Amino acid sequence: MNPQTTTVIVQIFCSVFAAVALIYIFIPSKDTDTGVDKTRLAYLYERKDVVYDNLRDLNFEFKSGKFTQADYDAMSSGLEAEAARVLDEIDQLESVPA
Amino acid sequence: MPLLGSFCLLFALALSGYCFVVGIVGAVRKDFVGYRMAETARRAGMATFAAVTLAAFALVWAAFADDFSLSYILHHSNRSLAAPYKFAVLWSGQEGSLLFWSWLLATYGFVLRWRHKVDQRLVAITSMVLAGIQVFFLLLCNFVANPFGVEPGPMALDGAGLNPLLQYPEMVIHPPMLYLGYVGFSLPFAFALAALIMRYPGEKWIHITRRWTMVTWLFLSVGISLGAHWAYAVLGWGGYWGWDPVENASLLPWITGTAFLHSVMMQEKRGMMKMWNIWLIFTTFMLAILGTMLTRGGAVSSVHAFAQSAIGAWFYWFLGIVFVVCLTFFIINRDHLASENQLESLVSRESSFMFNNLVLLAAMFAVLCGTLFPILSEAVRGYKITVGGPFFNKVVIPIGLFLIFLTAVGPLLAWGSTSWGSIKRNFAIPFFSSVALGVGLIAFGMRPFSDMSHFYAWSTFVLCTLVIATITSEFIRGGLVLRGKMNTNLLFAIFHLMRRNMRRYGGYVVHFGMILFFIGVAGQAFNQEKELEMGIGDKMQVGHYTLTLTADNHDDTPVYESQATILDVQKDGRYYTTLYPERRAYKASGGQPLTVVANHISLQEDLYVIYEGQNEGRPIIKAFINPLVVWVWIGVIVVVFGTGLALVPNAVRVTVAVPAAVPAMDNQQHMQPAGVGK
Repeated sequence: MNPQTTTVIVQIFCSVFAAVALIYIFIPSKDTDTGVDKTRLAYLYERKDVVYDNLRDLNFEFKSGKFTQADYDAMSSGLEAEAARVLDEIDQLESVPA
Repeated sequence: MPLLGSFCLLFALALSGYCFVVGIVGAVRKDFVGYRMAETARRAGMATFAAVTLAAFALVWAAFADDFSLSYILHHSNRSLAAPYKFAVLWSGQEGSLLFWSWLLATYGFVLRWRHKVDQRLVAITSMVLAGIQVFFLLLCNFVANPFGVEPGPMALDGAGLNPLLQYPEMVIHPPMLYLGYVGFSLPFAFALAALIMRYPGEKWIHITRRWTMVTWLFLSVGISLGAHWAYAVLGWGGYWGWDPVENASLLPWITGTAFLHSVMMQEKRGMMKMWNIWLIFTTFMLAILGTMLTRGGAVSSVHAFAQSAIGAWFYWFLGIVFVVCLTFFIINRDHLASENQLESLVSRESSFMFNNLVLLAAMFAVLCGTLFPILSEAVRGYKITVGGPFFNKVVIPIGLFLIFLTAVGPLLAWGSTSWGSIKRNFAIPFFSSVALGVGLIAFGMRPFSDMSHFYAWSTFVLCTLVIATITSEFIRGGLVLRGKMNTNLLFAIFHLMRRNMRRYGGYVVHFGMILFFIGVAGQAFNQEKELEMGIGDKMQVGHYTLTLTADNHDDTPVYESQATILDVQKDGRYYTTLYPERRAYKASGGQPLTVVANHISLQEDLYVIYEGQNEGRPIIKAFINPLVVWVWIGVIVVVFGTGLALVPNAVRVTVAVPAAVPAMDNQQHMQPAGVGK
């Protein structure tokens, strides 16, 4: 192919590509979601799940014979205290009217 | 193609610049206009991917079309180059590899922006950070190392060709794997910085990036291993790791990335080490950039590095800006990173993670100092002082041994603190197994106190046994619990055990792979080598092998000239194998030599033979016996398999009853998760 023809084809391709990209960027769909900042409450629910997971793992490890009763009690009570704190705060935040 | 490539690179720079600047405005303006601007920034980021992809396509197309009007193609390709290596042209030179970096970053960014609904606000700021990195690399591609630069004058008939050392199948995969690793750390870095900037509550960003980080770590591990295997199979010096600066550069982010993968569990589980983790991932990213700079900028001398160029200064500036940005937001928001729990005891899982991190950091600093010492010595004294393998071995081997010990101990300790009773319960069998192996090795003739390398090897075998025993006990203990609960056999129970916590048990498989790797490395203590000038019919004795030279042939092909021998090998007096070591000189590269290693592999040892050269027409043959090397590669395969397992989502849990009474508390009715105490 003639080099000049190739150059013209490439120039047309580049122009079309740029135009499509700009249309895509600046004409977004109408249902643009604004997104929201994560709340303390959402974080607490995540934390609750993590603490519950930790409790499940601990129970399984205890059942498998890895820890003595005393070690299990100490770890378990620590995790339960943390769960209690998290649940308390969730209750407080949920009791406040929006 | 130069026109298309140049246009796409410029357009991509404009798009990523828009994504970065408007991303900042969108993050600051928390109103509807701000959100709309953020959405245009997100879309510009996605369009960047299309533009960079087209630019990369244009360069590969030029390689396949033998377009030697491009300087890059002229210097890194030729007409007779095989098709897979024409793809490899994209990352074979400085300019192309920076374009490849940009393309991988754009690809990662595209996936992130595509999946923005996972957390829109967090992803918006992460996208803005990624766009900042993208702008830097596209600036380099456009104005410092443009792969679409055109040669003056008429087009040459043929190119200089790809470096023969790189014309090896693994070399088509090794650089992309390393790059996927280097570039991939941009994602967790960007998430961490975004979480710090917006004071993101909780650890969900870690959860989102967990798989990114593991996949990135996997790519880097595979990339480093392929590089080591290439060095072993192609460079022909008998080893696979020479503490070369560029090898070290790839190891640095791998070490800190490994530390991050471990310590991040502390943050997820216990809300601890937040400041540590954030700096760990910042450091990992900066080390990945440093690694790119060392390879691309030619700051250090290496078999891998490209020529010295002005690009290094750009990287220094970029690293400086990244550090200042990270430090600024850390100082402003450091109160957000306060720990939720404190370290209660030195004998706990938390402390084992902490020691693991400190040991890995010590290894990183040792490797970093050794790697940068030539640069620092030149800056201070005016000449380069190179630090060699003995320094690294002296420092890194003891650190590695302590790390193996921690790998054994960590999983068996309890969170919080561990009593002597629990320690005895968990460590008795592993401890006596490892002691028995240590005594057994001495009884079978190993002399650990004869010299330091034998002591290190013996210690490695003993500690590896300790790890294997602890990992096995973890699987068996858990399996036994589920066997009773599910009324099935032990193997099926262990399968279910893994399915309920893939990350944890996949992690144990990774540890097992690392142990096989260390066993392979320890074999180096027993290496043997011999070099001999041989005539037809001459014999060479090395270890229990006898090598007889039966032929010495010269060959001349259109691509290279070669000199090759045929060696019959006997082991303990019986025929074992025939080996064909060869030495080639590639014509397109001005006679650049390449060693074709003849290697006979077994689980016990490699018989590794090279054609060293000629003296008055007689071939010089060098033979090595490298014990246990194959376990290095098997270990890597197990690591890959284990990481793959850890990436698989968990199956539904099987609940297990715990008879112990739970102390009463105010909200106890809310607190019990499903499956506890039932």
